[in-house]
Amino acid sequence: MKVTLSILRYDPEKDIKPVRKDYTIEAEPTDRILDCLDKVKWQHDGSLAYRRSCSHGICGSDAMMINGKNQLACQILVQDFKKKYIKIDPLPGLPIIKDLIVDMTGFFQKYDIVKPYLISKDLPPPKERLQSQEERALIDEAVNCILCGACTASCPSLWTNENYIGPAALLKAYRFIYDSRDGADNERLDIIDTQDGLWRCHTIFNCVEVCPKEINITWHLSQLKKKCALREF
Amino acid sequence: MEEKKIKFFEQKNWIKENLSYYKDSGSWAWIYHRISGIALLLYIFMHIWSLSPLTSGKEAFEHKMAMYSTPVFSVIEWLLFAIVLFHSLNGIRIVLVDWADGARYHKKLYKLTWIVGIVLFLAMGFVMFSHEIFKLFR
Repeated sequence: MKVTLSILRYDPEKDIKPVRKDYTIEAEPTDRILDCLDKVKWQHDGSLAYRRSCSHGICGSDAMMINGKNQLACQILVQDFKKKYIKIDPLPGLPIIKDLIVDMTGFFQKYDIVKPYLISKDLPPPKERLQSQEERALIDEAVNCILCGACTASCPSLWTNENYIGPAALLKAYRFIYDSRDGADNERLDIIDTQDGLWRCHTIFNCVEVCPKEINITWHLSQLKKKCALREF
Repeated sequence: MEEKKIKFFEQKNWIKENLSYYKDSGSWAWIYHRISGIALLLYIFMHIWSLSPLTSGKEAFEHKMAMYSTPVFSVIEWLLFAIVLFHSLNGIRIVLVDWADGARYHKKLYKLTWIVGIVLFLAMGFVMFSHEIFKLFR
């Protein structure tokens, strides 16, 4: 069947602002949007730029805005859309480098802020740091994050305040704060318990809608909010 | 020199962007909550302004109040109640989301907000207008 992809193109060397271009290609209903982009790049216009790596929803490099919603291009099929006119835009709210490639520097700087690594106050045990099943269950969902950036780029709080840490970084903070092996809870809570931190979350649930790993990010943030508030007493 | 960064969503176009992006119940609840909040803020100023004839005596105040007891104003008051209702019920929903694991069942809560809201809105309409309606059929 024929599918038309309407892609937002931007070449910083030529264009002053992004322009939309349409490409009509031949595609199967079971083709992924990523396959369609490959067809455009390999058969129609070699100058199209986008990120792809594993193309199986694990690396999270091909997050983009498809028909007005952030999604992984490798997780969504042509048959998922009724209309065969599919709009493809880069992730909103992040600076565009070229075409569908956005600058993730800010995203990863915010990620670094919450100290996304184990900080243990005890000496390393001779063998391994043990964790019970109940303790591990607390972070079962949070460890699934693949850092694709779909959630952070879907957050209206971030569109109007680019300093907001964003759901991805806050989820990572949860992942370590609720990890029984980690000892820097208060340190991390101090970092996120700020103006541009946790309290910019207005429970809009856009992040939950777009997460390709189906993590209920807002629930995790609500646990952090509770912890921050209870700390005051 | 710092290069000007081009973004697909620019801060200054926030209304257009928020409207163009995909919306589910959570974003609608947020948008309605903001709009009703602003409406209530404006209402408070209007309320204070409408009470201001109190400073110029009883007669001026009663003259003003007569204006507010017309049927048109009753309907407007009823709509005001709708705004108060949504803002307060959704406020409870947000408290549940933040404090009672409501994030796990937020869509059900949103539906419940509307159901309870509409029932209370109609009940209030009955309380406010039943007297007039019964009068029509007498």
